[in-house]
Amino acid sequence: MNKKLFSVLLIAVLIVSAFSTGMAQDGELLGEVPGYESWADVLAAVEGTTVNFFMWGGSDTINSNVDADIGDPVLEQYGITLNRVPIADTSDAINKVLDEAAANVEEGTIDLIWLNGENFRTLKDAELLYGPWSESIPNAQYVDWEDPALAFDFGTPVEGYESPWGHAQFVMEFNTALVGDEAPSTFEDLQAWIHENPGLFTYPSVPDFTGSVFIRHVFYWVAGGPEPFLGEFDQAVFDEYAPAVWEYLNDIEADLWRGGETYPATASVMDNLIANQEIAFHMAYGPNHAATNILEGIYPDTIRTFVFDTGTISNNNFVAIPFNAPNAAGAMVVANYMLSEEYQAEMTNPESWGWLSPISPVVYSEEFQATVGAYERPESVLAPEVLNAAALPEPSAAWVTAMEAGWTENVLEN
Amino acid sequence: MRWQLLIERLRIPLMLFPSLAVLVVLFGGGMLFGVGQSFGYFPIIGLTDLTFQYYIDVLTDPNFFLSLWLTFRIAFISTFLSCVFAIGFAMVLRHQFRGSQLFTFIFQIPIPIPHLVAASGIVLLVTQSGVLSRISVELGLTQVPRDFPVMVFDRNGIAMILTYLWKEVPFIGIVVLAVLQGVGPQYEEIAQTLGANRWQRFRFVLLPLILPGVLSTSIIVFAYVFANYEIPLLLGVRHPTTLPVLAFENYQDPDLSLRPQAMAVSVILAVLAIGLLVTYKRLARLAVNR
Amino acid sequence: MQRFIRWFTIIFIVVAVLAPVIPQIVWSFSFRWFFPDLLPTSWSLDSWEYVFTDSSRVGESFLNSLYIALLSCFMSILVGLPASRAIALHEFPGKAVIEWVLMVPIIVPGLVSTLGIHQVFIRLGLTDSYIGVSLVHLIPCIPYFVLVMTSVFANYGTLLEDSARTLGANPWQVFWNVTFPGILPGMTVALMFTFLISWGQYVTTLLIGGGKIITLPMVLFPFISGVNYSNASAISLIFVAPAILVLVLTSRQLGKESSVMGGFGRL
Repeated sequence: MNKKLFSVLLIAVLIVSAFSTGMAQDGELLGEVPGYESWADVLAAVEGTTVNFFMWGGSDTINSNVDADIGDPVLEQYGITLNRVPIADTSDAINKVLDEAAANVEEGTIDLIWLNGENFRTLKDAELLYGPWSESIPNAQYVDWEDPALAFDFGTPVEGYESPWGHAQFVMEFNTALVGDEAPSTFEDLQAWIHENPGLFTYPSVPDFTGSVFIRHVFYWVAGGPEPFLGEFDQAVFDEYAPAVWEYLNDIEADLWRGGETYPATASVMDNLIANQEIAFHMAYGPNHAATNILEGIYPDTIRTFVFDTGTISNNNFVAIPFNAPNAAGAMVVANYMLSEEYQAEMTNPESWGWLSPISPVVYSEEFQATVGAYERPESVLAPEVLNAAALPEPSAAWVTAMEAGWTENVLEN
Repeated sequence: MRWQLLIERLRIPLMLFPSLAVLVVLFGGGMLFGVGQSFGYFPIIGLTDLTFQYYIDVLTDPNFFLSLWLTFRIAFISTFLSCVFAIGFAMVLRHQFRGSQLFTFIFQIPIPIPHLVAASGIVLLVTQSGVLSRISVELGLTQVPRDFPVMVFDRNGIAMILTYLWKEVPFIGIVVLAVLQGVGPQYEEIAQTLGANRWQRFRFVLLPLILPGVLSTSIIVFAYVFANYEIPLLLGVRHPTTLPVLAFENYQDPDLSLRPQAMAVSVILAVLAIGLLVTYKRLARLAVNR
Repeated sequence: MQRFIRWFTIIFIVVAVLAPVIPQIVWSFSFRWFFPDLLPTSWSLDSWEYVFTDSSRVGESFLNSLYIALLSCFMSILVGLPASRAIALHEFPGKAVIEWVLMVPIIVPGLVSTLGIHQVFIRLGLTDSYIGVSLVHLIPCIPYFVLVMTSVFANYGTLLEDSARTLGANPWQVFWNVTFPGILPGMTVALMFTFLISWGQYVTTLLIGGGKIITLPMVLFPFISGVNYSNASAISLIFVAPAILVLVLTSRQLGKESSVMGGFGRL
């Protein structure tokens, strides 16, 4: 390269960087992301582009909220058009990525997927994710990556391949009209209640998410805590506790809804069962699930929630970027916005989204803490202190598989 | 002159070509991938050797035959009952009477409604806290949801069969109706003059006429119900469940190594369906030509 | 007695057909409706309001579905008409096998073919386009279209065509002035099936067009698996309305044109 060309290039670079630094500065990259040198580069690349966000489309409130509280701001602030693609099940998007991978499609159709747990593991293990990126985006500074519930997604190390969105904690729901004001909060009491009131309790069948986690709670109770299940899968340990679990579940089976002849295929089926007094108890991964349903008229207002004395499992859900996303930069900007103070305030507002956050409020400004502190909690939602005190971690994925298979063999198939 | 002959000879293949091309290339090609996966060809997770292992696993699973029997039972009952009701209703609707066109239209309403929407509707109706149950409470027959008979999420598959009936009876019925209305009364009148009673008129005059139509539509209905997973998933019990549901759940499992098994079950289903239907058609032809 | 049977059957049919439909209509207008109430305790237009917002994407997907269904109909005609005629009016070796081949999409479970179809479409560059989506819808449509049209052609006399040709008409004139009007009633029915099948496709559209092309089933099906019956019912009604309209338009043919349906015995 001769000297003249070199100087021209140098000047060009300087001019370009001078212009770049004039653009919207939302912070700096904290680490590396594939394909981009700086956050400014990322922002420059996304102006006027579209992000295809594949997420479950079965809730009109979530749909409208995403469009209004994420779609509108990213358009205004970054020029990104958020194309929310509704799907009936996350696996629809996973299958699409798998198919595209099998056909060696380098530029696919999906930019961002809402997922967690096993769906994340499927894509990560098959090396079909873009990244690592999530620890490097500017707002990742708010995320406590040391927290095992964020560093591991059902035991799969996140390692920067997905970014947190919402936080969930398992709660039990009950109809005060049928159960009274106090619900049985230990497994022993619950068992007694079921025997005295046959036909009013059930739980979703595996492989439903919620049914699966209920079984995990029984394991934790039998073992006296989550510790045995947090590490590598150990068949001997499993065999030590499993018989007691099956015994408990088989013992209550005859007095379950439908005499235990069948279990609801999904948790959503149970929403209407409890609303219509076919059952008295329900369970959900969202402490606000009952409140939202009451607000939407799906539940009568006699529904309340409780957690087990032995604690309940909490986890997080995330967004991830497929390896062949046509607009990975845009996806990162959207994910980054989801961690912003502005959005988190809206997300945790019970009158808006009513979601729990994976981020502790103290990392944000004083203003933020004051705002969210003032939110009024609906009666059917438990206080954060109660929830936090009861929070338990998820076991690693291998345990989940064993528990689910064990249940199918020992309880479902009798 | 030669090229005219050539065009003549090519004419029929050319006419068939576009449809066959679409089906063989697009559908057949697609099927190849699925079949390949059933034999273990699944490069994404590193499987490239062909094997019968998945078929063996599927066929030796004790649940397989239980589910197969359930699948067949539901498909057979649904198809048979649909034919019976369809013929019955068509026999009534074929005459011209006041409002017959309107009632025929109402009869056809289920045809454009998707199965899932129909299933939702049936569930709202027959679930233990559904519309029928609430009417029963109004009438003082029952008090709580548990008192009402179980028709959904049940071992007998009542809600499933009702859904299939609701959808398929009009489908078969319309075909039968068209034949009956096109035939006119003269054959029956002749038979009547010859001393045939009502049943004989039906059996020997009308039945042979409608049988071809019933045959084709019932093949379609049986094939559909046999392979359908959405309705049993939505309305049935968790165990035992039908083969298509088993295949679907294996397919949806995040553990990708279960996919070949899902494909194996589906291929077995397809082979069985074709076998059953070819046999059925042969038998029906024999019966009609007797 | 006969009249009694007739009216009893009629009433049974009306009740049976409308029974699953009416609660859904009521649901779309209800806010709170619990056991054992026969009618909702509170009504609301919330679900309908949601349907007409931008977020629901109902408007956009409705138009997409319509466009694609019409494209599928057009392609069915192009592809299915010659095949039906060949089968109906000609004998040739391998005919029985070809007839079964044309039925294959109905018989083989979708699971086997869907993923593979996606692969084929990717390799042929047919994804993410309206043509591609219409083409993938064509696959399940062809069997029904051909089934109906073969029966139409079977009952169709070629006499008029022959006369026209003797009188000097060229092939296009014969088709447009003689054939087309003759098969039109039956073809309306065949197109109805094609339209309905395309209108209701979910998985195929998601795989082949998903992302860029959003159709009505993609908006509806997530709600059916959800808990809000009110929303699910409202969108279901929007989904079903055009299909019912198509039915109204063609029902006059279905009832009358026996040659169409009677020959369903082609299989």
